[in-house]
Amino acid sequence: MTAPFTLGGRTFASRLMLGTGKFSDVQVMLNAIKASGAQLVTVALRRINRERLEDDILGPLAALPDVTLVPNTSGAMDAKEAVKAALLGRELSRSPFVKLEIHPNPHHLMPDPIETYEAARILVKEGFIVLPYMQADPVLAKRLSDIGCAAVMPLGSAIGTGHGLKTLEMLRYIVRESTVPVIVDAGLRAPSDAAAAIELGCDAVLVNSAIAAAADPAAMAHAFALAVQAGYEARGAGIMPASDAAAATSPLTSFLRS
Amino acid sequence: MLPDWLEPPPDALARLDASKREAAEALACDTPGIREFAALLSPSAGVLLEAMARRARDATGRHFGKTISLYVPLYLSNFCEGGCAYCGFASDRTHVRRALDAGEIDAELDALAAKGFEEVLLLTGERTTHADFDYVRDAVARAAARFHLVTVESFAMTAEEYGALARAGCTGITLYQETYDPDVYATVHRWGPKRDYRSRIEAPARALGAGMRTAGLGVLLGLAEPRREALRLFSHAEHLRKEHWKGGIAVSFPRIRPQRGDFAPPYPVREELLAQLIFAFRIACPDLPLVLSTRERAEFRDGMAGVGISRMSVESRTTVGGYREGAEGTSGQFEVCDNRDIRAFCAALRGKGLQPVFKNWDAVFR
Repeated sequence: MTAPFTLGGRTFASRLMLGTGKFSDVQVMLNAIKASGAQLVTVALRRINRERLEDDILGPLAALPDVTLVPNTSGAMDAKEAVKAALLGRELSRSPFVKLEIHPNPHHLMPDPIETYEAARILVKEGFIVLPYMQADPVLAKRLSDIGCAAVMPLGSAIGTGHGLKTLEMLRYIVRESTVPVIVDAGLRAPSDAAAAIELGCDAVLVNSAIAAAADPAAMAHAFALAVQAGYEARGAGIMPASDAAAATSPLTSFLRS
Repeated sequence: MLPDWLEPPPDALARLDASKREAAEALACDTPGIREFAALLSPSAGVLLEAMARRARDATGRHFGKTISLYVPLYLSNFCEGGCAYCGFASDRTHVRRALDAGEIDAELDALAAKGFEEVLLLTGERTTHADFDYVRDAVARAAARFHLVTVESFAMTAEEYGALARAGCTGITLYQETYDPDVYATVHRWGPKRDYRSRIEAPARALGAGMRTAGLGVLLGLAEPRREALRLFSHAEHLRKEHWKGGIAVSFPRIRPQRGDFAPPYPVREELLAQLIFAFRIACPDLPLVLSTRERAEFRDGMAGVGISRMSVESRTTVGGYREGAEGTSGQFEVCDNRDIRAFCAALRGKGLQPVFKNWDAVFR
């Protein structure tokens, strides 16, 4: 087991969060969530069908024991839309969490830093536990935690690409300086990506495509859970520093007088 | 005469006749651009169809998940002042002309909502006094009161009109150029406002600039040489992505269907080539919604779902109205090929491991 993970004053046993938007059907999604042990699950407001319950994914998710829903604002193009979506999401899900997603470009879905900052400021004041999806920008991470975001969620690479931790160098800065949990979101392809994120000091990861697009989503969800645990245990065990330098056999400084 | 951005660079054009090696290199390329896209359209890439399908399927799954978003078209009116040679609604063809009145529009929309649809596409012919801008805007407002997502496929409008339509609740437009070949364009658009090639090609940009979130592009396959058409369609999509970075671009692949008027397409497109075009788009544009309508037969649609295609219409009628009880029929714009109802189509998708998604947008974003 990993050490408990505290987010917004609440404690979770799992450091793996799951997205729900890309599964082939509801049962496959539920099986994957169970197999992952995830306790924080995001759901897009735009997919919640409040008029037609048979097409709704909120009901089955809300019925899962030990799972906290995190509505997301995916589809919002600016702060105003995101705030509206967050308020509606809270009403429907009764969850204090919001994953703040503002991606005005509907193709690459890169987060808008300006609108995200503005929306985060408003939502924190509205009493939300705000988890902003963001570029792996160390300065933005500090700015968002300074205004009260409960975590930061930098991307590993673009949503749905499976390109892994392309932002590794920036993630190192973010982890080193962050006073709130760092959750890597987007781009993870294989469990080894999740392990690598946790090893470098991230507190949790969020996975959707890599699990939903797998041939066996439940098995892949379990594999990600194991990888997160492996990464966490490795961190505790003290990971050997990497070095290209061989140990010198002939000291170069033996001539120095002590 | 043609906009500068429409003409592909000469080296891309040359790749439409790529060698087998060039086609294979394009398929292996991690970040394909317009040259690779052209090579994937080439006859040489035809032998790579199965490998292209696999790459297209993987890309579709990564970006859209194992889901297909569904919409339904509603023809509001078949009045038209256009003389499009390929269209069953051309002003010298259909004998019975109708435009739904407000009460009929409400009844049709209610019937579609009762079936479970959340996204509706409203269609009309070219602008007439029976179905003018105010008529379309009123229909949009009626639809927006019932559906989360409302889009319009109608005549090319001014920027002011597109802005007003967006404010009435329209999220996006679909406007096919039909053909990017200016000579063919002039020939098949025999009379009417649609003869203005430049106004039409610039309409999606006007719409996005005026506040529409999405613009759907397409060519009517069969009118002109399809590979060259696909290359210009690609250039159009790329141009809009540069100029309107918040705009969502989608691409459709309509083939000419039998219609009143018996227009015979000079460049008939076989299924293999249609599939090749779709795979090439998916490989070169992994994040673009690609749309397939009920023009195609059931087996083809089932085969392409999730293998490039991410968005589909279902249970379409191309007659004016026709969804509500007791609606009297007009003849359709063209013959629909996949006549399955929503239940049968969704069952087929689920059988392929794909989740039919009716709601993928929320009116809260309006």
